[in-house]
Amino acid sequence: MSPRSPRSRLAAAAAVLTSGALALAACSDESPTPSADEATPSAINLLGPEDPATFAPLIEGFEAEHDGYSVEYTQVPFDQLNSTLQQRLGAEDSTIDVYTVDQPRVAQLAAQGYLVDLTDLADEAQEVMSPTMYDVNVIGEEMWAASIWDSTQLMFYNVDALTAAGVEPPSSDPAERWTWEETVAAAEQVQAAGETEWGLILEQIEYYYQLQPLMASLGGGSGITGEDALTPDITNDAWVEAMTWYGDLFADGLAPRGVGSFETSPIFADGESAFFVGGPWDVGVFSESETNWAVAPMPYFDGGEQVTPTGSWSWGINPASQNQAAALLFLEYATLNPEGNLLSTEATTIIPANAEAAAEYLPQLEELAGDRSAGVADLITYELENTAFARPLTVGYVQFEEVMNTAFADIRNGSDPAERLAEATSQLEDAWSQLR
Amino acid sequence: MTSTIAGRTRKVRRGYGRVALAFLAPAIVVLVLVRLVPAASALYGSLTRSSLLTGDTRFVSWENYAELLGNPDFRGAVGVTVLFTLIINPLQVAIAFALAVLFTRRLAGVRWWRSLVILPIAVPPAVSAVVWNVIYRPDDGLANAVLGVLGLPPQPFLTSPDQALAAIIVLLSWVGVGYWMLFLIAGINDVPGELYEAAALDGAGPWRKFFHITLPMCRRPLAFVLVADTVSNLLVFGPVQMLTGGGPEGSTNLLMYDIYTRAYTLGDLGRAQAEVVVLVLLTVVIVAGQFRMLRGDER
Repeated sequence: MSPRSPRSRLAAAAAVLTSGALALAACSDESPTPSADEATPSAINLLGPEDPATFAPLIEGFEAEHDGYSVEYTQVPFDQLNSTLQQRLGAEDSTIDVYTVDQPRVAQLAAQGYLVDLTDLADEAQEVMSPTMYDVNVIGEEMWAASIWDSTQLMFYNVDALTAAGVEPPSSDPAERWTWEETVAAAEQVQAAGETEWGLILEQIEYYYQLQPLMASLGGGSGITGEDALTPDITNDAWVEAMTWYGDLFADGLAPRGVGSFETSPIFADGESAFFVGGPWDVGVFSESETNWAVAPMPYFDGGEQVTPTGSWSWGINPASQNQAAALLFLEYATLNPEGNLLSTEATTIIPANAEAAAEYLPQLEELAGDRSAGVADLITYELENTAFARPLTVGYVQFEEVMNTAFADIRNGSDPAERLAEATSQLEDAWSQLR
Repeated sequence: MTSTIAGRTRKVRRGYGRVALAFLAPAIVVLVLVRLVPAASALYGSLTRSSLLTGDTRFVSWENYAELLGNPDFRGAVGVTVLFTLIINPLQVAIAFALAVLFTRRLAGVRWWRSLVILPIAVPPAVSAVVWNVIYRPDDGLANAVLGVLGLPPQPFLTSPDQALAAIIVLLSWVGVGYWMLFLIAGINDVPGELYEAAALDGAGPWRKFFHITLPMCRRPLAFVLVADTVSNLLVFGPVQMLTGGGPEGSTNLLMYDIYTRAYTLGDLGRAQAEVVVLVLLTVVIVAGQFRMLRGDER
């Protein structure tokens, strides 16, 4: 029952990638890491999905420390980030210098030749980051990106609604972590009492990142297996059971249909859901809400493993950039420099990837929402160290995530889980056949 | 003498030809660069395959096409697209024509009603999609609130494989009908008034006037609207991407969206380009059929 360490999981994942990584190395550009020492004052273009206000403090900090340099930030909507990157990087667009990389996509972006090799930073990165945040950017022997943030998931609950419905609220202590079965029973009780419209909502309602722990908790694995990490394994009993449970949340009216991922947090903030599983960013979002909430650990299935999502964004450098040395200077400031990394979290609540920055940041996060966010810092620290389960490292992650997110959406809308997962298996086999 | 005049005429014609060519040159260059070259590139790309792991691109002849034909998602997308085309185009043209006839009559507040129908054109497509997404929400959407007032049961709309395509058709018609109506209003206004006067003298009623004067006299604008509407609906992408992602269960997976997914999210450029070629061929076949039908009417 005790969770395996994230390191051992990553090591296992890395092992199955050997052949893919070798092939990757064979096709990658041999261009060396640019040197930040050669940077000359210039304008650096940054592309990402966040609101521009998020990076304003970081950019100000960088510009104040580096005379003559400026950073222009371009925002791309979250759900269009990956396709936009494919289009613009594929066209060798030199107007992107630094860009946001979803961590499981590092392997494919590197294989496509869309990332500059940052191996020269590897030693420094390893020193300042947790093993999870370092390993996720390394394929084979080479480092292709640098982590800026980390994440985990917490269960928020509506204190007043639970109390009014006679439900004893869960503890924030991981030792007293609720099961999904307990959570659903409590959610039904609150809903039946008419205290909230919805019982239990997962924020990223159709995304693999947040749903992966359901299957992993039942021992169903990440969904990917095989020596080259290009064999789908999503029809095993654990996957079908987890997806049946997930589909029932909507069929039974505990969670809403027709509301997209990231459109869900206002429902909890408005006091319309008893339980809500969301990220540390929600601590900031909900701090402005009038709802009386508190946090508890993300649940697990009775008798299953305690696992929580992890991983976030890394930043990489575009090989078509004409400004790679300056881009590297900025990337180093934002990720490896604790001061810069901390500034990236000043306007949003997320976990800095830099360990020193994280140590300084978590107590601030704890205080952000007063009594409501009590216990957040300890809980996040515990989850990152003990239950974090990274998304699989595979060159086929892009296809995997797209196919799975569509399948999750269908199951949410009422498709039979076993049949839909079998269909997704065929879709993955077809999509991955094009990678070989 | 005659030959001198003929020679001069030829020279003048050649001069005109050169001037005409000079004026046409920019358009021809643009046509070649932004239409023909990409088309040729897509056609060639559809015969190749690139491996992400090795970086190699190899010529595979018709393999991409053969694989597409065996692919259930692609076959589903073709089926959905054909069904969508068969429903949405007659529906939109019929509603646009009916509104055009109505709004060219002397009715109270007709200009106001006309503006109301045209208004959705001014709304950016993405905003329309977001607005309709809220309208269609199964639990707290406006559509179900209206159905509730009428005593009807709530509907799942975009979350049901049986209703999602119809919901997209309603959204697109809300946006498109006003636009196509404008062309048809212009066509109806061009019908000579004497024809209606003569028909009235002969004792023809409104329906007779409609079927024997308005409809035949509007054949040209109707032909244009039908063809342009068909092409525009074959290229529908935004609402599908924003509202359904091709689902549930592929029920709204129109070809244009399938191409986008294959190219930019699955990274399968070879087969995506083969699909582009199929979509272009499908468009050509449908439009050619429409032209043929309309030419038949002229005989």
